[in-house]
Amino acid sequence: MSEQPAPVEPPDAARPSDSGDAPEQAPEHRRTHPITPLISGWKVIAGILAVLTVQNIAALVENFTLSRALIGLGVLAVVVLGTIAISFLSWRATTFALTGDGVAKHSGLISRTRQFAPRARIESVSVERPLLARLLGLAKVRIEVAGGSESHLDIAYVRSEEAERLRRGILQVAAGGGASARDGGTSTATVPGEDRATAEDATVREGCGTDGRSAPGRDAEAAPTRGDAEPAPTRRDTLREILHDGVTEGELIAEIPTERLVRSLLRDPEFLIGAAVTVLGVGAAIIAGAIADGFSPALLVGLLPALIALPRFVFGRVEAGWGFVSRLTDSGLRMRRGLANTRSDNIASGRIQRLDLRRPLLWRGPGWTAVQVTVAGIEDTEGGAESVLPVGTREEVARTLGHLAPPLGSEDDLALLERFLTRPAREIEGYHPPSPVQWIARRTEVTVTLPGAVLHRSGILAKRVQIIPRDRIQELRLADGPLNKRLGLLDLHVAVGGHTVTLGGLARPGACALQAVLARDAARRRRYTERASWPTPVLAGTGTPEQIR
Amino acid sequence: MDPMTLPPDPSSPATPAPADAVSPTPAPGDGTKPGTAVPPATAPEEAPPVLVRADGRRLHVEGLRAVSPLLIRARYLAGIPGYLIALLAVAGAIVAAVLTGWWWLGLTALLPAILAGQGLALTPRRVRAIGYLEGPEELVVASGVMFRSVETVPYGRVQSVTIDEGPVDRRFGLAQLTVTTASDGADVTLPGLPRDEAERLRVMLTERGVELMAAL
Repeated sequence: MSEQPAPVEPPDAARPSDSGDAPEQAPEHRRTHPITPLISGWKVIAGILAVLTVQNIAALVENFTLSRALIGLGVLAVVVLGTIAISFLSWRATTFALTGDGVAKHSGLISRTRQFAPRARIESVSVERPLLARLLGLAKVRIEVAGGSESHLDIAYVRSEEAERLRRGILQVAAGGGASARDGGTSTATVPGEDRATAEDATVREGCGTDGRSAPGRDAEAAPTRGDAEPAPTRRDTLREILHDGVTEGELIAEIPTERLVRSLLRDPEFLIGAAVTVLGVGAAIIAGAIADGFSPALLVGLLPALIALPRFVFGRVEAGWGFVSRLTDSGLRMRRGLANTRSDNIASGRIQRLDLRRPLLWRGPGWTAVQVTVAGIEDTEGGAESVLPVGTREEVARTLGHLAPPLGSEDDLALLERFLTRPAREIEGYHPPSPVQWIARRTEVTVTLPGAVLHRSGILAKRVQIIPRDRIQELRLADGPLNKRLGLLDLHVAVGGHTVTLGGLARPGACALQAVLARDAARRRRYTERASWPTPVLAGTGTPEQIR
Repeated sequence: MDPMTLPPDPSSPATPAPADAVSPTPAPGDGTKPGTAVPPATAPEEAPPVLVRADGRRLHVEGLRAVSPLLIRARYLAGIPGYLIALLAVAGAIVAAVLTGWWWLGLTALLPAILAGQGLALTPRRVRAIGYLEGPEELVVASGVMFRSVETVPYGRVQSVTIDEGPVDRRFGLAQLTVTTASDGADVTLPGLPRDEAERLRVMLTERGVELMAAL
């Protein structure tokens, strides 16, 4: 990386002059797997079929004749062929390339789109395997870039092994090692634009290693692990590799046995209430419908969305934690999860803007905790890359936080968090909602400033602790209103990249004082020029290569 | 504005002393007990921070600069279509009530009348309540009368600065400044700046942003 001289451009690197219409360095643009149109097309077909049948099933059954059925099938065939043809064309128009600067993707039939994810802005890389693709041995690579919604770049679908190679290549490029993209073996990574690097880019690269000496050490560390994967694996290893989707290297951080997952779901009031409400709702609707105008298939068809939603909800929660494994790699925490659709994600500690610990009442006995993080740019629903530990024991939480969370600055961070998750808010010294009117919040909510972070405890049935590192605050907002004026309160909104935490109902003077302190932190704690003093997670050692921003 | 200086709110006797800024390199475990707020320390830095006070009934920021009073006229002018629609609605409701003889139809005039009335009555106060302050390290924007909010954006966190000039704004030589950060919350907007002032602020924000650049 930064130790080596600028990587030499391979002699065969295409020059702009001799590559006609190709853009500048003309890195080899490749297509995704040829089966892609079938996989992405089938959803359209299923959608059309569902709409047609759901709306007219009664009429269809009534007026059934052979010729009509044939005509229908013919129309359907045309639609199917058309869909496949369009999918095929759009597949042909979609190419991607991994270069030393980042990842490029060209797509679009009529209006051509060229997307580019600059390596300094790549926040995380996920490999997703939806069921159908998984059966065919394919996977989707999603590259998350900092930004609002839709700030990602999908490469779908490629062979699983290739997805894995791509992931490695992208992470290496993102970590600043343009040259190593070559052994990612995914493309002829010509290393373009090393000299065109902007000033900002240069600082980024300096920051990559945090300090120069950690870089070779890390490379040396990375090399053997990479080597280990290569020699002919035994059959057991292969099975393990397949079961864990390749997440088999590095220190084990957490592994969730199925038993714990199921028990944790049965003890989670949010999950149970959600499931119960859906079941009762569907049941009530069926009964009401049956009483009103007799039982009919149309009734069931109308309730189809609800009937599908329930298993989806349950299954989604199961899947978010099924077979969850997280391991520490040289590019951050690597996680794998999923039952039918599986995914593996990468989260680097340097990208984390906020942590969120959650412990439902009934998880207290076994001492389980769920950990979620916020990374700017990732917009995931539950069970995505942001859930870094769906349900973990104390030790697993300790390891996960040790590698991801910046030090809070207390004597014993874990004991402190445990206290926050178990004790009543009144026993914790800090900013309490002062007004007797907020009789629930007074007992459950408390905000505490520690040297490293602001902690906000809330929740009734599920205790929740949000950790906002004080150096990550982007923006502050004090909000007043008629009710607040009356009760002598103020709301403080603390915004970090990708999330806003509301500290509601603070006493007016306290809120102003807190605002002044946090405004100073936001302005000073994370200056580029002072990045040597940025806090790093306790167990992370010299800092992960991703720690560039 | 009534900057009455009252003693700290009596409704909050239990509020702990506010934690003050700790030096940029926090030594882990510097004598803070778990769960306790950091004890107040004297601010070590030279520039005094921008202070927000909640004296009296209103959020108050020291040294706030008002925006151009022309914004009142600009807002009235820009509001004319809305007022016309409200007027039509009121007239329509009254006519309908008279023609049909159903007096309660006249009640439907209330909503547009209230909407237009508060706009007409409160626009000057609202404009006068908008203020901004170039702090030593952050831009502070305050706005709102009843729902007052004070937004603070450190210069180093600014991702982009936009200047918008609508047709009405342009007539009065005004511009609106929008500052975006990486957070997902609402952007900070500052309307009613004279064009030169907006441009000056934009340059200042950009320059200081580069100077004090903070990472995400």
